[in-house]
Amino acid sequence: MTLLRADNVVLSYGKRPVVHGVSLDVVPGGVGLIGESGSGKTTLARAFLGLLTPTSGSIWYGTHPLKNADMKAFRRDVQPVFQAESLDPRMRVGASIAEALKKPAQERVAELMKQVGLSPDLVIRRPHELSGGQRQRVVIARALAVGPKLLILDEPTSALDVTVQARILDLLAGLDTERLLITHNLSVVGRLCRTSHVLFAGRVVESGPTDTLLERPSHPYTRALRDAVPVLGGEPPAAGRSAPPAETGCPFRSRCPLAVQECEQPPPPREVEGRTVACHRAEEVLTGPAGR
Amino acid sequence: MIEVRDLEVRYGTRTVAKVPELDVAAGECVAIVGESGSGKSTTLMSLLGLLENAQVTGQITVCGVDVRNASPRELRAIRGARAALVMQSPQSALSPTTRLGSLMRAALKLHGRAATRAVMAAAVEAVMLDPAILRSYPHEVSGGQAQRFAIALAVALGAEVILADEPTSALDVTVQAEVVALLRRLRAERGLGLLLVSHDLALVSTIADRVLVMKEGDVVESGPAARVLSAPGHAYTRELLEATP
Repeated sequence: MTLLRADNVVLSYGKRPVVHGVSLDVVPGGVGLIGESGSGKTTLARAFLGLLTPTSGSIWYGTHPLKNADMKAFRRDVQPVFQAESLDPRMRVGASIAEALKKPAQERVAELMKQVGLSPDLVIRRPHELSGGQRQRVVIARALAVGPKLLILDEPTSALDVTVQARILDLLAGLDTERLLITHNLSVVGRLCRTSHVLFAGRVVESGPTDTLLERPSHPYTRALRDAVPVLGGEPPAAGRSAPPAETGCPFRSRCPLAVQECEQPPPPREVEGRTVACHRAEEVLTGPAGR
Repeated sequence: MIEVRDLEVRYGTRTVAKVPELDVAAGECVAIVGESGSGKSTTLMSLLGLLENAQVTGQITVCGVDVRNASPRELRAIRGARAALVMQSPQSALSPTTRLGSLMRAALKLHGRAATRAVMAAAVEAVMLDPAILRSYPHEVSGGQAQRFAIALAVALGAEVILADEPTSALDVTVQAEVVALLRRLRAERGLGLLLVSHDLALVSTIADRVLVMKEGDVVESGPAARVLSAPGHAYTRELLEATP
């Protein structure tokens, strides 16, 4: 069953829309929301958490629109994991975790600490006395305290060293909760999400199985994201054109190396080789030189 | 550009960085890699004499200046100008109430350079920014633009070497690629030396000529990037490589 769903969701700050009619299901196996700063991914995540109300369209929690849902049950089922800086700097981390428990109990806090790979002895520390990786584990422990079904993770590892990042990803991959992961880093999505949606300028431009998207992207923006990730011993990452999104037609056409006159019309989402893509030239992207 | 011998940085009795040898030649990129707490940023800061509360020993020469024995005036002449510093979060390094143009003008004047419109426009154009950005406040520009502006400051002041501490880790991958391409171009066109501190080995492998791997204050391995990152000699380097996604 789909726990959360966005149905044609529009989100605006004042009169400025930042998410334009996005529909997607948070399905089992992990869902990735990928995009750069300003793509609307964090805004959409906030709407999924019930922190923002859509201007139009709706978020569904199970079979109910979120606005009519039992918020107590929702908060138990869906927990956010933000970057480690979300901890109260004045609170001991044990107290931070206990705060999330209905009946604060030392044993349960210790159990949660162990579950995320931390020594229970650390409960008396304050956030600044822990490393970045330890702090992120505390944030995860606090989210797990209420026994959620789904974690909404917003760039959970982007501030961490690679070795620490790898351990946090292992931890997250081993949890039996569902995941909605928001990130700009494609390599992280590959570890945690079976399905991914690529957002550009507030629109989903490509959706499908993560492996398919990473191996053979069909949208030029997905391809640009993939090619920008440096690879050990590989060529220097490809730098694309930087330009603000186009106001009309395909928003990516201001940066797209394949843009033609047809792109002045908005591309409707369509099925191409096992994924959904909004690009007039998806076939050319797929058959481009060496898949690039 | 940079010559370091037997560098040791201590806080009290605790040694936080020990670097026997570190050289950066013109047009060369040397990277220091390691985890948080490995001493890589401390090493970078010590090269410009920026660690006031630490005991620093050894020989540090930057742009021909003996950093440890230099007068404040001599240090000012290299810091930020001949040896530019680019930090992880450029926006926090830029005064929030000063327009970027005023900031660049102040930096040029501080170092006794002509702060003409043409000089400033040329510097921002060299980093692929529109000179109109000089009228913006730091919060009005994106992270990538702010980082490119920090590099434009180095260009305006005629930097010979850039010391960069995680210059792209706060940026989106596509923006990171732009900044890396820019640094590569400046190296090729201007013979700029680059000392890069990073925990991203994949990124380092695409830009660095040589690599120093640091762990808990010690250099555990160093050598040509192509060799160290493809055939590591130290278990810790292998661990770092395995963790690289």
